[in-house]
Amino acid sequence: MSRAGQRSPSPKETVVKALMLAVTLLGLAVAPALAAEPAEIALVIEKNRFAPEEVRVKAGAPFVLVITNKDSGPEEFESKDLRIEKVIPAGKTVRLRMPSLKAGTYSFIGEYHEKTAKGRIVAE
Amino acid sequence: MAATFVVTLREAFEAALLLGIVYTFLDRIGARAQWRYVTTGGALGLLASVAMGVGITSVSGPLLDLGPDLIATTVIFAAVVLLTWHSWWMRRHASALRGDVVRRLEEARTSRRWWIVGLIAFTGVFREGAETVLFLWGLLAQASVGSWAGITGGVLGVLVAAALGWAIFHGGRHINVRTFFSVTTVLLLLVAAGLLSTGLGKLQALGVLPAGEPLWNSTWLLDDRGGIGGFLTALLGYRARPSAFEAAGWALYLVVAGILVFGRRTRVRVARPVETAR
Repeated sequence: MSRAGQRSPSPKETVVKALMLAVTLLGLAVAPALAAEPAEIALVIEKNRFAPEEVRVKAGAPFVLVITNKDSGPEEFESKDLRIEKVIPAGKTVRLRMPSLKAGTYSFIGEYHEKTAKGRIVAE
Repeated sequence: MAATFVVTLREAFEAALLLGIVYTFLDRIGARAQWRYVTTGGALGLLASVAMGVGITSVSGPLLDLGPDLIATTVIFAAVVLLTWHSWWMRRHASALRGDVVRRLEEARTSRRWWIVGLIAFTGVFREGAETVLFLWGLLAQASVGSWAGITGGVLGVLVAAALGWAIFHGGRHINVRTFFSVTTVLLLLVAAGLLSTGLGKLQALGVLPAGEPLWNSTWLLDDRGGIGGFLTALLGYRARPSAFEAAGWALYLVVAGILVFGRRTRVRVARPVETAR
């Protein structure tokens, strides 16, 4: 396949392709945001801890996690279980759209303070 | 201190690895003069990281909810494309090597793909850069008497990552050219496979791809957050709890890119997920 002497795609073509990909991704990501609003659940970060540390949600229904960081430094909400990494700057609120979860427990941490910032989402 | 050290080391390791490889690559093909592309790319990546950090803290609403994720996802997929392309190019290059230095140099000059290495440096630094910037910034913002150890640890983590990049460069300069190209090509494809799987995971988190249960959980064996697991995550794309998309994307990428890059010339390297160990 890749024999020497064969021409590889020009830089221009690749840039165009990358841009097309970016635009597609943008469209795909924004589309669900326009759909109806599911239930909202509040989560607060204060003194490098989450409150509440246990969030109870209905299994099988999407929801929005509204995370407010009341600390003076940023925090990263991270859940390996849910594949989420989200930076929440100091004093800001982030709305995270969550997929519908199967019944079970999903742990999350604040990556910048993982010793203290721990919590879990219980879907039931 | 140990905790913040591990965090920044983990975040900066991938960038250091990529920078180490592309600098050595240029050195080995006798194109040291083109280092400026890598340096510029890396510096721009750093600037973009700071800009992104500032951007994240100054915006709010939907821009904050979705913006950083869209940028991060785009950068990840761009990096996968660039790394694949570079590996392919590198492979073609290596195949032209017959100890003929002049010809090698000529080909390197005529192919003029220097900006790719610059872009690789950029994406490598920018990918985890904003997070690292915010992390260190956060440490400083919350600085109290007791937290200076944490800040020291964070800075040390970045420095050690940089030292690792330098070690790769130093080691790579002395090994045989062919071996160097083969090893780094495999390494770059593994990094790209890991990135692709991260990108697919992000698309799942964004709701673009359907979410699903993890295929398996090998956290008990090797946590992908810890020291060694963290390195394997950056290096091989190791995931302790991969989704079907992440695992399939990782394996499929290695097969397809492996055939594309190594096709016909050498034996095809069969991809086997490292995560299957249980």
